[in-house]
Amino acid sequence: MLYEKYRDEIDAILARYPSKRSALLPVLYIAQDAYGRLDDASIREVAEILDLPYTDVFEVVGFYTLFYNEDVGKFVLDVCDDVPCCFCGAEELVADLEQRLKVKAGYTTDDKMFTLRRVKCIAACDQAPVLQANLEFHYKVTPDKVPALLEDLRRKVESGAQISISGRFAEH
Amino acid sequence: MPDEVTLTIDGQSVTVPKGTVVVEAARKIENLIPVFCYHPKMAPVGMCRMCLVKVGTPKVDRGTGKVELDTDGKPVIQMMPRLQTACTTPVSEGMVVVTKDAEVEHAQKGVLEALLTSHPLDCPVCDKGGECPLQNLTMGWGPGQSRFDYSDKVHFQKPIPLGDLIYLDRERCILCARCVRFQDEIAGDPVLGFDNRGRSWMIISKSDPAFDSKFSGNTTDICPVGALTSADFRFKARVWELQPVPTVCNHCPVGCNMTFDMRANEIMRVMPRENDAVNEIWICDRGRFAHHFVASPERLTTPLVRKNGKLQEASWEEALDLVARQLDGIRESAGGKAVGGLAGPSLANEDLFAFQRFFRETLGSPNIDCRPGTALDLPLDDFGAEYGLTSGTDLMQLGKGTVVLVFGADPEEEAPVHLLRIRNIAKRGGTLITINGRATKLDRFAEHTLHYRYGAETEVLAAMLKPLYDAVPPEGKRAALRGFGDLRGVLANASAERAVANAGVDGPTLEKINQALASATNLVIFYGQEALRAGTSVTAGLANILTLARKAGAPNSGLVALVPGANARGALDMGVRPDRGPGYSALKQPGMAAHEMFDAARQGRMKALYIAGLDPVQADPTLAEALKKVDLVVVQELFLTATAQLADVVFPVLSVAEREGTFTNAERRVQRFRQARRPVAPQRPDWQILQSLARQLSAEAVIAASANVSDKSRRQARRAEEQARKRTDWSYASPAEILMDIAASVPLYKHISYASLESALGVWGRKPNEAYYFDGTSYENTGGLGKQVPAGAENGGTLSLQPFNVRTFSQPAERPWKLIATPFLYDDSTLLNGSALLNNRKARPVAALNPADADSLGLKDGDVISIASGRGELRLSVQRTRLAPQGVVLVPLHVQGVPLVTVVEAGVTAVAIRRAEG
Repeated sequence: MLYEKYRDEIDAILARYPSKRSALLPVLYIAQDAYGRLDDASIREVAEILDLPYTDVFEVVGFYTLFYNEDVGKFVLDVCDDVPCCFCGAEELVADLEQRLKVKAGYTTDDKMFTLRRVKCIAACDQAPVLQANLEFHYKVTPDKVPALLEDLRRKVESGAQISISGRFAEH
Repeated sequence: MPDEVTLTIDGQSVTVPKGTVVVEAARKIENLIPVFCYHPKMAPVGMCRMCLVKVGTPKVDRGTGKVELDTDGKPVIQMMPRLQTACTTPVSEGMVVVTKDAEVEHAQKGVLEALLTSHPLDCPVCDKGGECPLQNLTMGWGPGQSRFDYSDKVHFQKPIPLGDLIYLDRERCILCARCVRFQDEIAGDPVLGFDNRGRSWMIISKSDPAFDSKFSGNTTDICPVGALTSADFRFKARVWELQPVPTVCNHCPVGCNMTFDMRANEIMRVMPRENDAVNEIWICDRGRFAHHFVASPERLTTPLVRKNGKLQEASWEEALDLVARQLDGIRESAGGKAVGGLAGPSLANEDLFAFQRFFRETLGSPNIDCRPGTALDLPLDDFGAEYGLTSGTDLMQLGKGTVVLVFGADPEEEAPVHLLRIRNIAKRGGTLITINGRATKLDRFAEHTLHYRYGAETEVLAAMLKPLYDAVPPEGKRAALRGFGDLRGVLANASAERAVANAGVDGPTLEKINQALASATNLVIFYGQEALRAGTSVTAGLANILTLARKAGAPNSGLVALVPGANARGALDMGVRPDRGPGYSALKQPGMAAHEMFDAARQGRMKALYIAGLDPVQADPTLAEALKKVDLVVVQELFLTATAQLADVVFPVLSVAEREGTFTNAERRVQRFRQARRPVAPQRPDWQILQSLARQLSAEAVIAASANVSDKSRRQARRAEEQARKRTDWSYASPAEILMDIAASVPLYKHISYASLESALGVWGRKPNEAYYFDGTSYENTGGLGKQVPAGAENGGTLSLQPFNVRTFSQPAERPWKLIATPFLYDDSTLLNGSALLNNRKARPVAALNPADADSLGLKDGDVISIASGRGELRLSVQRTRLAPQGVVLVPLHVQGVPLVTVVEAGVTAVAIRRAEG
């Protein structure tokens, strides 16, 4: 049970806000990290922790594309394939990643390390092509930078650093 | 007028209250601005962009702060740079609005074209076709052609169930959020929402069960497209084939105005009929979907007579003749007092009046009651009439200054549409106070909420009465209140501290409630079954609060008693009770109450029982034994109920859809329902059966009266004969004539006639094209708005304080739990027969326990427990729920498999709970 397991963290979040409703996003981050995704049961669990109507929580989860309803890797690699990035080589980047990771965009590697996705503009057109690994932005990613990037991300996981697909630790 | 604003719309000047939005101002002068998402009953959101108009305001010189004038001396109008949504733009002084020009038309065409890009245009198979705002607005404002390719449309799987009752067709949805907003803003059940974004935006419901709301059907009415359809009406009929017939809901004491939409003698659907004094434009799902009892194949079709121990079909002549002969025989041999009559609160006023006439005049029996005679019978409520909501009170107009106190009631289950109306008073600035033994949905909207310990209701009331009592100025004012002195002693020890200690309520909240009561301009008090069951001291306490707050008989104030049954108030008004005649008139000789009749039956003193529209044996199977000792049991019913199965003669009656009549609702509004359906079998209306019997029986009575003449003076003789003739005058040709008789003999009803019930026509009638705002063909009220009868306290005269006592329930140590019978909207009433759609919503036969209590007893969900009171034992499986207060077990009323009557006692029932073996 989420609350039992993360009681201190959730209580600390709840203490930050005058109403429980306000704590929805941070508690969803915890749930997504804990379960690896947000399926129906985990969304309902969050709703119960926060005394919110189930439907309200489903609405929020449905609205944000960074909430996942199926399992993803330790890192979600979002590559922008919108116009400016395409001009600067986004397609080549996607092809290179697909080849190196041995998965098509939209899928997760067998070792559950990476999920590769195509996304639309993530608001860094001046640094195209752009790749977002969880909440980390990587700019002007050309295929020659990819091996080092992937290696770096792998090392992070192996070092035992806190990894959050929700970017829960990004603010620290 | 500072609160009014004058503006110009398309060159026409209009004055409206400040704060009005442009759409509404235009509507007032019948200038139709097309809308989809805007709805007059809900806050505007500006989502659909259909109502774009040009708006300009007088230009103000920044230097002088004055309006600039042109050479003609007229204000210079500065147009806003872009089109504005008329539904979200509030009017301002001197505003100029243009709703018809090339730019506006271009925008309207564009919006419609965009809305139609993903609309499947499947009107020929769509239930909304024919009353669809999207169709209508496309015809009126849309482009003739689309620039989008038909094959590019976004497709979704065709209708998916949003819940048991409502289907969603996502292709048709234009995402106006009317349904979502209705559920949030009006129903107060936030169970609908939006999932995803962009092209995959869609309505979802994730409550458990899905679309968990008692008002869900209303979303299909306000949906401006065919996206939401009801499981009940889907693909049943084209709307232009339907003939709406005005009716009144027969399920609960609200008395919602509805129509039966008929095709070829069958009810195709039930729609609300607008009546702002009763239900605005809403109805609950029970009213909308539980109409199938009318066409149920299980309806009784012919009279049944017991022959050789079996009920067998018989002709009307045979059955009537048999009952008349037997009743005459019993009247002769044992007297009228050996006959008892029970007539239920779902019968029309006309039936009930005829019923009591038949008993009191024809049979000479005082034994009549409107209750089934079980341990669950509620006390007869007089306060709802004596101190009732005063005539002319319109809950829809009440807001600021109004205090609404809801005591011992769960309106969501007992009278659902009252929940919406009470909530609306709170939204308009009224103060809502809920005081209950347990949490109810209404608490969510209340400013102050108290939860008392069951059994300590009067402690709370005493603490509320005390400051009001002390505030009554001495001398004259006190003398004007009968019973003032009697209360002094009772309230001597009352205090908030005592209520906190004995009833477990929150002291500061009680303090605030008392302040609110003392400063109320209008005071409306609702009470329900839990208050009624707690005893007359509780309802008397509420009546006394009203009187001491000096709101008894005052405008916009009064009590509303939620007595179960569509015509419970009518039954009491008509005198279907042992202790009072029609109009609450005093009786020389009171008769037996229902339970006394069954006691008499058990002892063999009751020779005949006549039961109309009640099923005592279903509620209490032990009554079957009593019935077997009665020589003649006659039942008038729709169905072969448990009671009817034991009858000697069963008369099949017409349902509310097949006859005319009136009901009196909880607010004492008399309302008329019409015949919508031709009877398909030779059933008869209740009053007509009684009249037939009375005619046969009273031929004898006149002869008897004239036979006595010789013994008396001429004057006496003439009077006796006159009375006999009046008594024997049973020549009603229609219910309308019975109502004339009621008006003549019941002072309360003196202004009521079928004509007067239609008199307010036109007040809320639709203007041309208003359907665009309210949708489709629904709501129009052509059947009349009914008429409220005055409350007793309105007549002036001395007001009385009612006898009130403080009692604290002392819990026996060996039975440490309290059993509370809770009403549910979806129970096992025969009126839900045949409406299988609602089966999943029905209250389940479970005992609800607080999780903490269940833990202390080591009980999981589904464990079977024994609940034992001083009278008997009951076995049920456990449902753990936070809705149950600690120390209390909640058991549903009128649910099959829950023989509550075997355990309940008067007042609070103390019970012992243990895990049941095996």
